Amino acid sequence: MDLPLFRHNRPNRVVTFDEYREEGGFEGLKKAFSGMSPNDVQQAVLDSGLRGRGGAGFATGRKWSFVPRDLPGPRWLICNCDEMEPGTYKDRVLLEHNPYSLIEGMTLACYALGVRHAFIFIRKGYEKAAANLARGMEEAKKAGLLGEHILGSEHSIELDLHLSAGRYICGEETALINALEGKRPNPRSKPPFPAIKGLWQGPTVVNNVETLANVPAIVANGAAWFKGLALNPEGAGSKLFCVSGSVKNRACVELPIGTTLGDIIDGACGGMRDGKKFKACIPGGASTQFLKPEHWNLPMDYDTVAKAGSRLGSGGVIVFDEGHCLVEATLNLINFFARESCGWCTPCREGLPYVKEILTRIENGRGEEDDITILREHVKYLNYTFCALAPGAMAPLDGLLRDFEDEVRDHIVKKKCPLK
Amino acid sequence: MIPETLKKSLQARVASAITAREAAVDVMKELQAHYGWLTDEAVQEAAALLGLSPLQVEELATFYEMIYRRPVGKKVIHVCDSISCWCADCDKIIQYLKDKLGVGLGGTTADGMFTLLPCCCMGMCGDSPAMSVGGVPYGRLTPELVDEILEAERHKV
Amino acid sequence: MPKLIIDDIPVEVAPGTSVLEAARSVGITIPHFCYHPALAIAAACRLCAVKLLDGPVKGIQMSCALPAQDGMVVSTTDPEALKMRALVIEWLMLNHPHDCPVCDEGGECLLQDFTIAGGHSRRRYQGKKRTFQNQYLGEGIHHEMNRCIECYRCVRFYQDYAGGTDFGVMGSAGRVYFGRFQEGALESPFSGNLVDICPTGVFTDKTGRFRARYWDYQFAPSICQHCSVGCNTSPQNFQRETIKIVGRRNDQVNGWFICDRARFDKGYLNDPQRPREPRLDGATCGYDVAVDAAAKSIAEFVRNNGADKLALVGSTRLSLEGMIVLAQVAEAAGGAKVCYFDDAGLQQGSLAAAKLLHEENAAYVKDIEQAQWIALHALDLMEEGPMLALAVRKAFLAGAQIFLVAGDTLPACKALPFKYTSVETLDQVPFEGGGKGVIICGAGSKDPELLAEMASSGAKLVMLQPGPNGFAAALLTQQHAAGPLAELVAARQVQAVVCFEADVPQTLLSDLEVLANADWRRGAVEAKAPIFLPTTTWAESDGTAINYEGRAQRFERSRVAGLPLKGLDPKYYGSATEAVTLHPPRVHRKDVPGGAERDAWQVMAQLIERLGGEPVEPLTGKWRALKSLDPEGEGVRILEMGLGE
Repeated sequence: MDLPLFRHNRPNRVVTFDEYREEGGFEGLKKAFSGMSPNDVQQAVLDSGLRGRGGAGFATGRKWSFVPRDLPGPRWLICNCDEMEPGTYKDRVLLEHNPYSLIEGMTLACYALGVRHAFIFIRKGYEKAAANLARGMEEAKKAGLLGEHILGSEHSIELDLHLSAGRYICGEETALINALEGKRPNPRSKPPFPAIKGLWQGPTVVNNVETLANVPAIVANGAAWFKGLALNPEGAGSKLFCVSGSVKNRACVELPIGTTLGDIIDGACGGMRDGKKFKACIPGGASTQFLKPEHWNLPMDYDTVAKAGSRLGSGGVIVFDEGHCLVEATLNLINFFARESCGWCTPCREGLPYVKEILTRIENGRGEEDDITILREHVKYLNYTFCALAPGAMAPLDGLLRDFEDEVRDHIVKKKCPLK
Repeated sequence: MIPETLKKSLQARVASAITAREAAVDVMKELQAHYGWLTDEAVQEAAALLGLSPLQVEELATFYEMIYRRPVGKKVIHVCDSISCWCADCDKIIQYLKDKLGVGLGGTTADGMFTLLPCCCMGMCGDSPAMSVGGVPYGRLTPELVDEILEAERHKV
Repeated sequence: MPKLIIDDIPVEVAPGTSVLEAARSVGITIPHFCYHPALAIAAACRLCAVKLLDGPVKGIQMSCALPAQDGMVVSTTDPEALKMRALVIEWLMLNHPHDCPVCDEGGECLLQDFTIAGGHSRRRYQGKKRTFQNQYLGEGIHHEMNRCIECYRCVRFYQDYAGGTDFGVMGSAGRVYFGRFQEGALESPFSGNLVDICPTGVFTDKTGRFRARYWDYQFAPSICQHCSVGCNTSPQNFQRETIKIVGRRNDQVNGWFICDRARFDKGYLNDPQRPREPRLDGATCGYDVAVDAAAKSIAEFVRNNGADKLALVGSTRLSLEGMIVLAQVAEAAGGAKVCYFDDAGLQQGSLAAAKLLHEENAAYVKDIEQAQWIALHALDLMEEGPMLALAVRKAFLAGAQIFLVAGDTLPACKALPFKYTSVETLDQVPFEGGGKGVIICGAGSKDPELLAEMASSGAKLVMLQPGPNGFAAALLTQQHAAGPLAELVAARQVQAVVCFEADVPQTLLSDLEVLANADWRRGAVEAKAPIFLPTTTWAESDGTAINYEGRAQRFERSRVAGLPLKGLDPKYYGSATEAVTLHPPRVHRKDVPGGAERDAWQVMAQLIERLGGEPVEPLTGKWRALKSLDPEGEGVRILEMGLGE
């Protein structure tokens, strides 16, 4: 099937501007500028059922609809390419193969939202993606598809790259706005939400790379077509799954929403590595709960995965086999979150190192019975933080205590890691 | 002191920004590229360029992982220790790097060539274990490959 | 008006009030660290957790960041809320040292209070505490980062509220560090407030560390006497020594904060060299002996030269009480002259300002904060009224335009915590019919015509007085048609003076006989006077001060007069019959060593009696209304009471 994102990809190089155009690229833009109103574009996105691909899964069309159109002063669009969720590398793969879908998608989003100036916020380490985008933007400008008077219309849209210097918290949309403004990237309190008061106090939409890159195909082919891509009736579109861990073929693949976990691992990734047995996986980047063998046939969509007690998240699937100690895996995840805490609120700044200390002891055979109680307290009370970083960090710990409590207890009772 | 050409280009960058602060990260990165790390002098120069106080630049500089406020080697090795690389046994690679370079995490080799730092997920999960040397990403590391990379990087300007 | 229920108590509050403030309005203190009424909401510490049992929002919420809404049912004692708060304390105590006994904040530490209140007593965490290097931050403030609980109050005050740029927050996660780029004295003239605003012992007052515990201090509500703004303070005294001075809230004057001069400039109060003994012809004598001699000297002078050749001289340092009674002394002396100013220019400006201001045009602090434009007229604001700079900053942050008129050469303009446009004359300030504008100037030495021009602009006015009690001096000058001493001397109308806390310049003194001098500090007058009567400072006396806007405020005696016990000369330890030892007093003395000082107005009252007058009570007649002034209140604007007429 002709899925929207990777269909322009070439095996080992970036698609060229001409190739992209020959394959129907910028048709969505042309269609929008020759007869669709900004509202039509927004409606198409709303009808398509496109949900935020960065992790939260919020309906994109609805997010756009929150932006007031009658306020004076500029509105802003920011593409969030601060892809730092462990296990997630889909945006990099997409942009290293094709920057044009994003450029076209952002132009369409700007058109729909009445934005004149948009930013792409790129993490440190994605210089290749940034270079592709810079070149792509120049090409689009030359072709009259970006910049002043797009396609001869009265609409002018400017795109700018902002290259960050590396911090996970910058991916949180309000922290990202602070970072872009050149302030310390602590998250801001909500309300006011960015849609009302965001970048430089103006109405702002922050969307993920993959989300925006879907927009051209939605506009070109229609909302119904996009919805129809999914394998499950409730789903819409395709999803980039980037798989790592104990699979034969670690790859970033585009599959219809609703593809089962088993089909991702066995189909696209060629099964488990070295004949190992599937023990668990984290389906959507570091801040999601474990899925277990019983979820092998679970259709991967936002609501289905949520019903199974986890989140589709970013689509970063990390696969563990029976040789992996999940206490140590969780410790690794917590270590990441503790390090990446911005230091603003107490529970996150102090609670995560606390959890880390306990998990370290348990893994090293110095765990105590009380530790599980303390960990559970953290799972519950680290939800009351300033932003979603610490609650995200608690997701795998919650999963560990829920699904693998025996393994944790085994560590404490045997005074060592049973897998070592 | 930074060369006049660099100063001019940074001034132009600041002038083109919507607010001066917006250019802060770019200015810090450029100055870091010039000095090798963001020296105290560089912080003060950045402050002058941005119309901020040195403290206000320091507030930003100390937040970002890739802004170095201490001297580093000619090339910084960032070796990923996040979950996907952990699955691919990054601990062994990190240990190998430590042994080979004769430094701990955060250390700089005696010849001033490399500084070894752990880092968070680099988005190379499909090619784990991964590291970057002087900004160049390398994946699917093995001890042999690490040897080759370091040797090549040592001689690459 | 949202109506909600907090712990079964129905509460109705103004829209926009947070649940934390709503609870406070009915006497429930929800524990908090990062919340401070003067600062923007941070919601960082997460201590103020409450549970919403019913209404539009449910579950655990941070009460500081949650606007009260109709129908909310809030529990501050729900087990889940208590658990959350206990955990926050536990998290903060993971790294905070357990050494309250050696911390100067101990006893006045919010963290200590809430740790005890939250019931945290057992350490479950087995890791190590993190540690930091401290920085030298100048002679005012001691820095101890290990105690930090990262509430961000300091940086929110220093940068956001006070406009400082040399202190802030660096690092991230558990390495967050509050300090300077490099060691050095803090640059903000409001830096001392870090001491008050830090909920624990990161910033302590270096000038008074480890001298006493909070419960040892003698306190009383006081009014700063450094300039005419009249900030509310609370001197903390121990054993006759003012150890620290902290800010005291008065939203009509200084809000929560004070400037560094108010806080740190206190050495003169404790100065062992302060003249504390009454003297007659160079020899120490009893107080009554000195008063008798002064009365005798006045009577003799009047008999020989006539009362009109004598002037009773006060200054803007005197309390209102002193100023009132000073005129009565002149009367009792048979119609002597009275002076409140030396300098004719200062008197003229001060008087003109007091006359021009009335209830409608005299700016309240809120008027400054909410102004659309502000003109500073040839004014060194950081010298003449530093705290008003913070009010101007608030207006600036809200979008007001600030103009500095004819002030570019003034020294402190660089330190102003807001941006301004320089213009040469008031005409260049673009305003229409006043609008919501404020003109701020120093009244002293200003041409009355210029002041009148400002008053006719329709803008609200701030006319800072020369000296802390200048407004009162102007009122009494007007009432008694007092002249400036310099003019009287030049016209040879005065031959002799009796001075009360007056700093008569040397040039005038050479043409004058000083019959007697009453003061709490040394100076040229004291050196020349044959009779010296030591008086108390504002810290050791009750009194009233009137600030630049005509606001009368009461200060209370915060400690007894006398030499500080620390460093006391051993001669005071023993009695006449016992040898001097280095041990503290074994002998009970009736008198406080060096404690002979009396309030200036009481010395005056005694003089009046000796001169045959009636016993006096200062706040009578038209001043009676000020007698019941509440020292802990906001003061009253006498313009409103018609006292200024």
